[in-house]
Amino acid sequence: MTDDPIAELLIRVATGDRTAFRELYAATSSKLMGVLVRMLGQRAEAEEALQDVFTRVWTRAGRFDAARGSALGWLVAVARNAAIDRLRARPPVLTGTKEDEAATVADDRPGVEAGLIAKGEARRVVDCMAEIEPDRAAAVRGAYLQGRSYQALAERHGVPLNTMRTWLRRSLIRLRECMER
Amino acid sequence: MTDAPLTPFQDDAALAGEYVLGVLDATERARVEARIKADPAFAAEVTAWETRFAGMNDGFAEAPAPDLLPRIEARLFGRASPARAGSLDRLARFLIGAGLAAAVLLAAIVVLRPPPAPVGPVITATLAAEDASLAFAARYEGGTLTVTRTIGAAAPAGRSHELWIIVGEAAPVSLGLIEAAGYTRPLDALPEGAVLAVTLEPAGGSPTGGPTGPVVAAGPVAL
Repeated sequence: MTDDPIAELLIRVATGDRTAFRELYAATSSKLMGVLVRMLGQRAEAEEALQDVFTRVWTRAGRFDAARGSALGWLVAVARNAAIDRLRARPPVLTGTKEDEAATVADDRPGVEAGLIAKGEARRVVDCMAEIEPDRAAAVRGAYLQGRSYQALAERHGVPLNTMRTWLRRSLIRLRECMER
Repeated sequence: MTDAPLTPFQDDAALAGEYVLGVLDATERARVEARIKADPAFAAEVTAWETRFAGMNDGFAEAPAPDLLPRIEARLFGRASPARAGSLDRLARFLIGAGLAAAVLLAAIVVLRPPPAPVGPVITATLAAEDASLAFAARYEGGTLTVTRTIGAAAPAGRSHELWIIVGEAAPVSLGLIEAAGYTRPLDALPEGAVLAVTLEPAGGSPTGGPTGPVVAAGPVAL
């Protein structure tokens, strides 16, 4: 088996174990709620989305592969996807109007991950982000943590949308090369 | 850093990264999701990006979550419905139940429809109410989606019928209102396997961007 207690629960959930499902909710719902509140910016919608997330977790737990990453990482990916689906379904005029600027500006700074553990993937992504131009790394962070769209990033950084797209795609390739090193 | 164009391999890797970051718009996302289902190598690159970015997850602080388990379990295991079922709950449940009914209705209604014009691929869908009191015929041809009410009445005064597309397990995306006279609009793509649904919304459409009213008709897209 595995020494990751969340992975143990997820593997049991994949077999249809409802007790494990309840334990998984107790163990991870505040982390996933944190993801949803941060990305959606509204508690009520985050609560709706949390229900979508655990519904997806129940039906897709069998797809989790412990060899490919941590169980919590897999759960966060499910939550981020649910949040992004909701953000992209919003009418364009609403995008970007619900952000708390004071809170989000601070989070763009590289220091956010300063408290991060020096382990495996975390270390590598932090190191590799440092190799990218600071404004482009901030765009990657803004997308990952706040769910910002290309349009929102372009407005925020005062560049045309196509420029932002080019920046980000090239940054992703450099990040990938760095992390695969 | 070079300005050389990305290789096809880099292009795919960047697209997978853009998808995981979430910067793509709804249409692009739907396209990438179709690719994930069809292309295992691409799907593996998406998973790899999720793992690469997981190192940033400490940037998400915890937030206390209310106990939503009763509602989630009701949704999943079909216990007594909560008093205030969200429209998405109902949509999800309806769509599961609608699968079989829609197949039966499709068989019945397909006979009544005129044969498709022999120009280009034509995609059709029949959107029907559970009790068959309301139905719409959808037809996608040459980049235009047309939806016509075939059974039942237009939305009552003060309400609107709103059309949604659901691709895979993504949240519904609004395609706009269906007027009494019908619906005709350009659309980039109508992926096979997507679901079209109609909800009853306040006049002018959902105020939230997601469905807020009951699903009055739904059906799968078929070639």
